[in-house]
Amino acid sequence: MLYSLRQIFLLVGKDLRIEARSRQTIGLVIVLGLLIVVVLGLGLQGQPAADRSGMAGLERQVNHAGFSATAVLWVAYLFAGVLCFEKTMNVERTDAALAGLMLAPLDRGLIYFAKLISNLVLILAVALVVTPAGVVFFNFDLSAGLGSFIMIVGAAVIGFAAVGTLFAAVVSSSRLQGGLLAMMIFPVSLPLVIVSSRMMTGIFLEARPLETSSLGILIAFDAIFVAAGWLLFDLVLEV
Amino acid sequence: MSNSLTTSANAPKGFVGVLDYTVGDQAAPVLPTVYWLMTFVALAAAIVMVFAWTPEERSMGLIQKIFYLHLPVAINTFLACLTVFIASIGYLWQRRLWWDDLAAAAAKVAVVYCSVVLLTGMFWARGAWGVWWLFSPRLTFSLVLWFLYVVYLLLRSGIDSGQRRAVIGAVYGIIAFLDVPLVWLSARLMPDMHPGHVALAPAMTLTLAVWFVPMTLLAVGLIVVRYGLNRQITRSLASSSSWDSAESVATRAMETVGGAA
Repeated sequence: MLYSLRQIFLLVGKDLRIEARSRQTIGLVIVLGLLIVVVLGLGLQGQPAADRSGMAGLERQVNHAGFSATAVLWVAYLFAGVLCFEKTMNVERTDAALAGLMLAPLDRGLIYFAKLISNLVLILAVALVVTPAGVVFFNFDLSAGLGSFIMIVGAAVIGFAAVGTLFAAVVSSSRLQGGLLAMMIFPVSLPLVIVSSRMMTGIFLEARPLETSSLGILIAFDAIFVAAGWLLFDLVLEV
Repeated sequence: MSNSLTTSANAPKGFVGVLDYTVGDQAAPVLPTVYWLMTFVALAAAIVMVFAWTPEERSMGLIQKIFYLHLPVAINTFLACLTVFIASIGYLWQRRLWWDDLAAAAAKVAVVYCSVVLLTGMFWARGAWGVWWLFSPRLTFSLVLWFLYVVYLLLRSGIDSGQRRAVIGAVYGIIAFLDVPLVWLSARLMPDMHPGHVALAPAMTLTLAVWFVPMTLLAVGLIVVRYGLNRQITRSLASSSSWDSAESVATRAMETVGGAA
């Protein structure tokens, strides 16, 4: 157990060291995230145009902006995430690094966990930059449910990365076109989007407390797909 | 005389091995004509029944008759998806390519059937609710299901090697099916307008039951036909391009050496 943890730690360290030295993913992904926030912000700007007069109207507008801010942030994390998954697997393609990794005396499930953690670290870095930008652009008070927001996004992103890491290995090992990765990940991740957007509507628009049953669905998703990824990763690499 | 004797002796075997019978080297009919005749008769009977005999629903009128097609097709979509899942597991377990051919055939039928579910559902929604689409639980569920299996087919079409396509298809087929209950749970959080439990007049229930027959026969028939085709393609590929077999590589190498000498 401790030995496995050490192996995962070494693999994650390797990935992050490559990233720290080349910085080929993080810059790209952060700029993409910011662009998504700006583009969607501009697109949604004219939305609640009706009834702008009076304090009540303004308040509703701000409220509405707050709700769309969470949705926009979510979309930014998702698209930036897909790029992260693709890049962290592509690293292994150069100089036949994947063959080296497969020859290493490791359980291949551990490679999956290591890639998953590396991806989560990268998405966390994106979130740390993109979230403040979203809060500023949308003039939106995240503090109303900051803890819940972190919990929902955290639980959802783990499931999303679990699916994404597995599929990135599929795409990378079979040399499919890049566009296919997003197409594979999004339909499978739609339950996460449905549940988290319902929960955020509840918290930020209707001021209801966090629903544990909905959070349970997110956690079930995480558990199922982390386990499936761990079991199936080996099969994907061998082809 | 002896001919009839052998036939009767072999009859049980032929009956059990419908699938064996389908995959001859010749382009033999994949399913007996009798099967398709039965399907056609059942479909014709169901259509006549729904228009000539079944009473019209009071509030919705004619549009309600879509329901008799919609529900059996929806159930069969789900069965086709289940077949993909089982065949995917079967492939990863035994590594026989016929499992993969079965999964591909079932996925194709699942997509066609799911499209029918979505289209009939949209016509129903237009007639009953006045809109073509609502993001309500069952509609969203069917749409996500459709996306999952369309992506499955696209993914397969993007991979050349048979073995690799089979493994990746199986992995995706398993992941997609694991997703189904989660999509269902999450979609249930949405506001619902779809009728859940429908109380039907006895005549309507009977019509619905009758409609299950042709739709199920058609689904199974299509899967078997597509499976037979896939089998033939797989076999012809295996025999024409025997790149994978070490024996043929050795033979080719011998030939090259012989030619050079």
